[in-house]
Amino acid sequence: MSTTTLSAKPRRMTLRRRRQFAGALFALPAMVLVVALIAVPIGQAIYYSFTQWDGLSSTWIGPSTWTQAFHNPNLWTALQNNAFLLLAVPFALGLPLLIALLLHQRVAGWKIFRSIYFLPTAISWVVLGLVAERFFAYEGTLNSIIHGLGLSHVTTNMLGYESTALSALGITFVFTMIGTNTMLFLTGLATLDPSLEEAARIDGAGRWRVFRHITLPHLSRFIQLAFVMTVIALFSALFSLIFVMTGGGPGYATTTMEFLIYQTGFAQGDFGTAALYGLILFVLTAIVGIVQLRLIGSDE
Amino acid sequence: MSITDTERTSESAGPVATRSRGRRVRRGALFVLMGAVAIVMLYPFWVMVVDSLKSQNQFLAGHGFSWSSWRTLTSTIPIVQEVISSTIICAVSIALILAVGLPAGFAFAKLRFRASSVIFLAIVSAMMVPLQAILMPEFVNITRLGLTGGYTGAVLVYAALGTPFSVFLFATYFRGVPDELIEAGIVDGLGYVGALWRLVVPIAIPAIATVTVLQFIQIWDDLLVGLLFIQNTSERPITVGLAVLAAGRTTSIPALMAGSLVSALPAMAVYLIFQRYLVKGLTMGIDR
Repeated sequence: MSTTTLSAKPRRMTLRRRRQFAGALFALPAMVLVVALIAVPIGQAIYYSFTQWDGLSSTWIGPSTWTQAFHNPNLWTALQNNAFLLLAVPFALGLPLLIALLLHQRVAGWKIFRSIYFLPTAISWVVLGLVAERFFAYEGTLNSIIHGLGLSHVTTNMLGYESTALSALGITFVFTMIGTNTMLFLTGLATLDPSLEEAARIDGAGRWRVFRHITLPHLSRFIQLAFVMTVIALFSALFSLIFVMTGGGPGYATTTMEFLIYQTGFAQGDFGTAALYGLILFVLTAIVGIVQLRLIGSDE
Repeated sequence: MSITDTERTSESAGPVATRSRGRRVRRGALFVLMGAVAIVMLYPFWVMVVDSLKSQNQFLAGHGFSWSSWRTLTSTIPIVQEVISSTIICAVSIALILAVGLPAGFAFAKLRFRASSVIFLAIVSAMMVPLQAILMPEFVNITRLGLTGGYTGAVLVYAALGTPFSVFLFATYFRGVPDELIEAGIVDGLGYVGALWRLVVPIAIPAIATVTVLQFIQIWDDLLVGLLFIQNTSERPITVGLAVLAAGRTTSIPALMAGSLVSALPAMAVYLIFQRYLVKGLTMGIDR
């Protein structure tokens, strides 16, 4: 034990404390912002979900607000619509996977194709919704294609009918997700060691077997991430599309949870029920979110 | 890969010539397939360009060509003012997100303090909270503070929504930076703020670019926040302006398409120039 280490010890302690202090100070603004604008509103939403609230004054009602809400058929319609839209998820993952595999063949000009495929990712879903409305419209592209195929007696108006409007929304959603998910899968494919596939081919494995046993397992983490991102987008990013394409209609045919919150709060002025619906959406996304945290956590 | 592939198969099967022709046919088929996908992905641009180059009457008739909706665009849609609004909102929000996220990410990675990992996890979890879930209290709070007139309220909400991801991304990024580098700077008398400004920021340029690009596209393209938190129509961003006109169903489609194209161009330009940062940001956390 020399004197130098003895005298250095208290100095190192203060250095560490100073560093901790600096760290806490640096993190403080981010903490304040997240607490004030995300955490506190969650608490408020819980409180207000038990009240009659018009945004100005609230009166405590208690748990009966919840039983009332669950007796509201609109809530069940919205939840059903969300559940139906989940059917779009396999397409929103499968098509990008195929496109990524196509790009990964690196045919001449594949980089240009890549840029083209990703380009719609930059465009607002408001604009894509406008374009989709043109596509599905009575005098739109879809009917031109159908007539071009010789089926002149068939004319669709998917956004105009309760039975088909939600499917049209789902198709648009699949289109809007293609860019992002293709990008994810292509990044995943790029990290795959080509000699691995090569070796399997030498051993006589066919294309499908190589894909099934080497490529797909390698991509599994990317597919998981894409799945989580797609489901979260489905629950919380359709607002722009719905607002522009259908306004939630016809009837409540395209009213999802997030749109129901907006309508209940801002069209009907029932802030309390809207806050309650918000919490239901929060729980739904939290379930998906926990999966993603696991995903991130498994990496450390 | 291609050379060995041909050689190997040529041993077992027919002559090299037929094999390579088979390959060429296959490549050709792939090319055609990729072209078909490209047409689908370019469809929105085609619609915007073609429909905007019609007058309202030509649009209804289904044929014809005219510049009229472009000529009258500024009087149909207050597009100049809306683009300026969008730019201001994006710039201030991103500046705030960086100013708050960068030091926090640095702190969580390199200047760990008591409970810092729990707080970090809490902030990252906030990434999963959709705005709609807290929309009502958020709206009432911002309204009570009197911030729903101009940009301030929207900027605050965008900043809060963007902060969790940026903290996560910066912290992940800084974990890859050796401790010694930071230590040396601090010992050299830079102090913590000095080290942050002179050492950390220059290192973090790629991460800053990723956050900026992702947030720019996110905020520029957003509807919900701008729609509810900016009540003055004179300060409306472009995406909100388009959505409101479209939902009103009185504005002509050609004018809307021209406006859409104008709104899409900046985000597309940013996207094409900074494509690689976008990819990096999306796969952050699983691909390091």
